[in-house]
Amino acid sequence: MDSLPRHPRAADPTRHALKDGSSDAREKMQKHDVVVVGAGLAGQRAALAAVEAGRDVALVSKVHPLRSHSGAAQGGINAAVGKDDSVDAHIYDTVKGSDYLGDQDAIEFFCQRAGPTVVEMEHFGTIFSRSPDGSLARRAFGGAGFPRTIYAADRTGLALLQGLWEHLGTSHYTLYEEWDLTNLVVRDGRVQGIIAFDRRRGDFAGIAARSVVLATGPFGRVYGRTTNAHSCTGDGVAAAYAVGAALKDMEFVQFHPTALMESAILITEGARGEGGFLKNGSGERFMGRYAPKVLELASRDVVSRAIATEVLEGRGFPDGSCHLELMHLGKEKIESRLQEICDVARNFAGIDPVVEAIPIAPAQHYMMGGIGTDIHGAASIPGLFAAGEAACVSIHSANRLGGNSLLETLVFGNEAGIAAAAYAASAPATTLTDADLETATSPLRTWSSRTEGEDPATLRTAMQETMDRYVGIYRNQADLVEGLRRIRAVKERFLKVRVVDQSKVYNVNLSDALEAGHMIQLAEIIILGAIARTESRGAHFRRDYPKRDDANWMKHTLATRGAEGPQLSYAPVAYTRWEPKERVY
Amino acid sequence: MTETTVKATFDIYRFEPGRDAKPRYQRFVLDLPPHTPVLTALLKIRDGSDPSLTLRYSCRGAICGSCAMQINSKSRLACQTPIGPELERDGRIVIEPMRNQPVLRDLVVEQESFWRQYDKIEPHLILDPRKPMPEGRENPMTTQEVDRFKETPRCIACAACFSACPAVEADAGFPGPMALAKLYRFVVDPRDQGHQDRLVRIQTEGLWLCLRCHLCTEACPKDVRPSERIRDLKEMAIAAQGGTEHGSKHAIGFKDNIRERGLINESKLVRQTSGLLGLAGQATQGLRMIRKKPEILKSPHRIDGLDEVEKIYQALDDVPEGKS
Repeated sequence: MDSLPRHPRAADPTRHALKDGSSDAREKMQKHDVVVVGAGLAGQRAALAAVEAGRDVALVSKVHPLRSHSGAAQGGINAAVGKDDSVDAHIYDTVKGSDYLGDQDAIEFFCQRAGPTVVEMEHFGTIFSRSPDGSLARRAFGGAGFPRTIYAADRTGLALLQGLWEHLGTSHYTLYEEWDLTNLVVRDGRVQGIIAFDRRRGDFAGIAARSVVLATGPFGRVYGRTTNAHSCTGDGVAAAYAVGAALKDMEFVQFHPTALMESAILITEGARGEGGFLKNGSGERFMGRYAPKVLELASRDVVSRAIATEVLEGRGFPDGSCHLELMHLGKEKIESRLQEICDVARNFAGIDPVVEAIPIAPAQHYMMGGIGTDIHGAASIPGLFAAGEAACVSIHSANRLGGNSLLETLVFGNEAGIAAAAYAASAPATTLTDADLETATSPLRTWSSRTEGEDPATLRTAMQETMDRYVGIYRNQADLVEGLRRIRAVKERFLKVRVVDQSKVYNVNLSDALEAGHMIQLAEIIILGAIARTESRGAHFRRDYPKRDDANWMKHTLATRGAEGPQLSYAPVAYTRWEPKERVY
Repeated sequence: MTETTVKATFDIYRFEPGRDAKPRYQRFVLDLPPHTPVLTALLKIRDGSDPSLTLRYSCRGAICGSCAMQINSKSRLACQTPIGPELERDGRIVIEPMRNQPVLRDLVVEQESFWRQYDKIEPHLILDPRKPMPEGRENPMTTQEVDRFKETPRCIACAACFSACPAVEADAGFPGPMALAKLYRFVVDPRDQGHQDRLVRIQTEGLWLCLRCHLCTEACPKDVRPSERIRDLKEMAIAAQGGTEHGSKHAIGFKDNIRERGLINESKLVRQTSGLLGLAGQATQGLRMIRKKPEILKSPHRIDGLDEVEKIYQALDDVPEGKS
């Protein structure tokens, strides 16, 4: 071997990364008023709101906050601020986009806050793209009646994440960086705090809190073909389910129409918003068959099914793709407004979108379901709150519109932060005991002491292959039942998962196992909801039940933990002004 | 895309301080298509051969900034670096942790100093309470004002620049390319009211420690071009404060020297930069130089074609600010 490079100084592995040194993470038990888990846009916004309400706040994240998956959002954030547009139009588009399963009171609340939320982010320092008159630039997006998607080139999530992180840096809170959530602790009918795994120290610790906000994002990694980051493993959603919180509408999984063929890296809907075409293997612009009025700018479920149908019926390219064409937009527009996806196409597919079409296919992208909450983020357990993609309010329901998820993180992150702070201010103190820590972590410690058993990666892969194959864009009873059988087999195998890495420092093998366990549980719940819902609505499409069935299925699915596994029940949809109609684009 | 595979040899740095006496390299050989990203290969190794291989990664699409590392001695994002060209050039792929940051384990480094430098430049809008934000609406910003941010909003804080920077290695007081590019982003922000203070402060807090080697710009996976932003900051700092600091006086002296004679007058330049007292302070080094190279005591001659140099200077004088 060659001589060694220069890495002279080794860090003290017991060091921890606290933003302010007010407490010492080497202590096994921490205590705060409010603990926010997840430090993407929703978590940061919740933390900011709780700090501003005067609470002692901890922000816990398994990645540095700037590495959160919010930063991967590309296209934009919706707000009906144009003179021709209106909040009512935004509400209507969102209700229709949800295939009438969205709670209309929540959607009204949500859309009314869009304008002020975006302005606030501009005041916090976010760098948005601008119109020639100096106002915030807007672009067209799928399922929207007006160009109402405000953007920062095609890195809107990154721009917002930087703006919020930099603004949050002026306030006082404690950051627990690179801590994995393992458990919530619930006692006496309310949340007492969290148990987490500190990657650097290689040990478990408890953080007692009067209230907890879960903002841990999605669980797209239950699928193999997903636009989601590797970190999107549903840790908070699984932890909430484990202590009895109700999960809502978990069967609704959004597949984004345009992900790179091989790597499934996202190509923003903004590419079509700026005028991009979708073409099949014979060069035909096929969306006219599926959405005659708005073509490529139909909602995502419609466009994804259209692409899948073209390929299934033999009209795709031989590799199973369709093409996204941008060439006609011209080099200047492509390179200024779609700069990141230019780089993505060039670096990850070897395609220059200025001169070539981009081979794309749908990929899992967004989870409409999550921890059921009210409009203030409150989950079904006192003291527990959730926001962002981990939560289900529900505003997206059967299908989310592009540009509504960034807005959701900020609007409901803020709400959850305010509500969690208010709860903490009036609730008595909580305690975590050594017994809590022991109960929560002793099963996890056995993973590392096994001499036999399967690696978490093997089980994760088996789960992902099952979900890709049996729980995709087009579903049917036989596939879903087979998928459930396979996922339950993986769940059984997980009882003997083995962590081979014995190190105490940054043991990602243990994190892998935690994440795989969370995802396998959530996969089972997704399939159970999908088997039960014998209709097609939004992103949930059953070939054996191809019609929407309002008489029987205009209701939310709730999944809670029972003695024999997940128990399904149903809850009504809230209506205000919009009667369900057939959904045509 | 199931094209032919190549035999890819990886030599991966493994080290856990406190447990291992010293670092070692572990070899893995995989058959992979040449367009495979390094990150994909590393995850295959983790999933298939050795789950204890420790690295940070998340988005796999060059937007989260987690997976910067040394790939054949260059600071790169593993997700954005295909194996093919690396193998063609070097025959194998040597994977090491980023430099200038202590190793926690394997490819994971302690980034505290990197983040601290970022925090130190006050990365948030500095506002003047007498000039409140417009009530209920955004601050207008022209396209030209947005363009002044240049590429800095693309920064993903991956620290590849920090890893590549020799000034960071030499001087813990140097903020590093990322922090300075971030400072630039706030200095050009029309909403920020702290421009002047920021520029004055950074002059004594590391701006002039940049060696102008441009390795940061070469390393940056997002084309932020930190070294160019540092150059912009230097120009703005001189415009804001004049030549009051060693660094700025040196730059001005350098420019004047060349304009005058086409060559550097070293003794004069030291005097211009450090003043007479400073000159005395460097006397030992000066004497050594005089012994080796006595001609530096004489003023250099004017070079032939000095009029051509002058033309260049005049052309540069005519370039509007910010377009250099």
